[in-house]
Amino acid sequence: MKKLFDKLIGSFTKTDNNGKITISAYKTKRTLSSVLVSLFRYALLISVSYVVLYPLFYMISNSVKDLIDWYDPNVFWIPRHFTGLWYKWAYESLEFLSALKNTILFEMVAAALEIISCSLVAYGLARFKFKGQKILMFMLILTILVPDQMIIIPKMMNFSSLDFFGIIGLINDVTGAGIRINILNTGFVFYLPSLFAIGLRSGIITYIYMQFYKGLPRELEEAAWIDGAGLFKTYTKIALPSSGVVITTVSIFSIIWHWNDYYLAIMLMNSYESMPLAVRLSNVKDIMQTLYNVWGGYKMTATQCACCILFIAPMLIMYIFLQRKFVKSIDRVGITG
Amino acid sequence: MSTQAVKKPKKNIHARGIEALKERYGWICVAHWVFGLVVFFILPIFQSFYYTFCKVTLVTGDLQTKWIGFDNIKYIFTENPDYADNLIAGVGTFAYSFPIILVLSLILALMLNQKFKGRVLFRAIYFLPVIIASGVILGTIIGDQSISSTSGTDEAVSANMVNVKELVEWTGLPEKIGQYFQDAINKIMNLVWQCGVQIILFIAGMQSIPDLYYEVSKVEGATAWEEFWYITFPSLSRVIVLVTVFTMVELMTSQTDKVISQAYNLISSQMFGESSAMLWVYFIIIGAILGAILGAFNQFCAKKWE
Repeated sequence: MKKLFDKLIGSFTKTDNNGKITISAYKTKRTLSSVLVSLFRYALLISVSYVVLYPLFYMISNSVKDLIDWYDPNVFWIPRHFTGLWYKWAYESLEFLSALKNTILFEMVAAALEIISCSLVAYGLARFKFKGQKILMFMLILTILVPDQMIIIPKMMNFSSLDFFGIIGLINDVTGAGIRINILNTGFVFYLPSLFAIGLRSGIITYIYMQFYKGLPRELEEAAWIDGAGLFKTYTKIALPSSGVVITTVSIFSIIWHWNDYYLAIMLMNSYESMPLAVRLSNVKDIMQTLYNVWGGYKMTATQCACCILFIAPMLIMYIFLQRKFVKSIDRVGITG
Repeated sequence: MSTQAVKKPKKNIHARGIEALKERYGWICVAHWVFGLVVFFILPIFQSFYYTFCKVTLVTGDLQTKWIGFDNIKYIFTENPDYADNLIAGVGTFAYSFPIILVLSLILALMLNQKFKGRVLFRAIYFLPVIIASGVILGTIIGDQSISSTSGTDEAVSANMVNVKELVEWTGLPEKIGQYFQDAINKIMNLVWQCGVQIILFIAGMQSIPDLYYEVSKVEGATAWEEFWYITFPSLSRVIVLVTVFTMVELMTSQTDKVISQAYNLISSQMFGESSAMLWVYFIIIGAILGAILGAFNQFCAKKWE
């Protein structure tokens, strides 16, 4: 045993006449270490992917499992009896189509507005030098830092009677008309902030855009300036067409964050008809937990899993289609801080 | 003196040269954002800060405020039974979650950034938590912990994932140790689900480091370890700051956070002033921690690299 061990060690440290390690020994050492490294890498990556994918498998498996299989201790992952009952219940209790309509109408439009307006802000901050830019940069960092929860109460109040700088109040005082613009429970609670690039996590989206525009070569735009192109032309004809990479990244982030947005939606969209999917989902969960004694745990868990699958399915499908583009775009988006 | 003598006459902006034009363009680009910033961000912050020191009541859809000084802060610490505990629990969660998320996502990003077979697949998988493990989903399938612990059937998802507890019991060690390991593993798994965006930010940062640096270091005979500490890590310094900020805010605003959910409950029962006070105290504490971390980072790392 000891001989074998010595031989093994010896093969790494075989020296030539000058006392240096020979090339062949060096090569064996290198191949061995690279094999070990890649083994370790795969072991780590696969084990962590198990953790990552576990909730997905859990939800899929439970949502198609028949009630008989829940009582069968032999069945764990792959069910023997399939059923669509849970999906039917989930679909009905979520009122899926109306909730989906709300999400698309409110959240997705807001996401699109955010993607467009943040790009312009980032372009301005990255490309031009102007007075007060440092303060604006500081404010940008602050918008990333301050969570929505901090400002939700004043926001709610301001939205319930919309008034920019007291103009409407002034009109009311002068003319005596009781104008009151309440935009709670309408799409405008999401559209307005997104339009002004201060919507859901706009700070970080602007930041990613800005990093990209900083890395983009200026030469083309300089040429356009000299040829007499204005701001609008330079932005739409040169900056936007070359920023496809960053738009992919940012769109996926923004769409997913808006899709999953729960806190803002529950505060600003609290009437049942206008609830987006995420709020409806947690609503259903709360209702089911009160039904616990009637339904029993298995039915509840299965239906909840089906609800979750219905909730993530559109995003999952989108991601599967855009995945290749997305992974590539990350390589080129160039975040340097 | 002579420079003052040749003072430029005020002309049309196009005649004043491209720099003046660009300054104007800069403002045009950000104008709408500045408006939004004031209306939807700065004013609400001041309002919410003001509410902290007020008794806020809802009268026919409008908020009536009455200045009461520090009574709200006194209330949340002395009269509210849970707040102090929740605050300590919240800060405690930070203390272990934050470093684990940062290190884990850095390690995974390093692995995914190398060239090997199947890296496209792995990268696609590692972004999935952003979709799958969002707050709503986790809140739904893990379920309300208090209910699941009493009912016994609806166990936490992560508890089933790897059953260390049984393994430890099988070896004959006391049950407490098994429970400890199980808790630790469940926590780590919950943290892995929060690494998605961080991994992407790190990979994007790594891709923007020029290959030239690595080529030079290979010629000079640097080991992988040295490459990491002298090239990758310093080049990522600003990304690390970004990820730190993002992780902090993400952890703070997650739905499982007790302070946030308590403040939300207070909003539902129309105790706006108290709720604002809770959030501000929490935010100031987290902000102080964040400031300390970033300050230390600047002091000990960023300066050394420059």
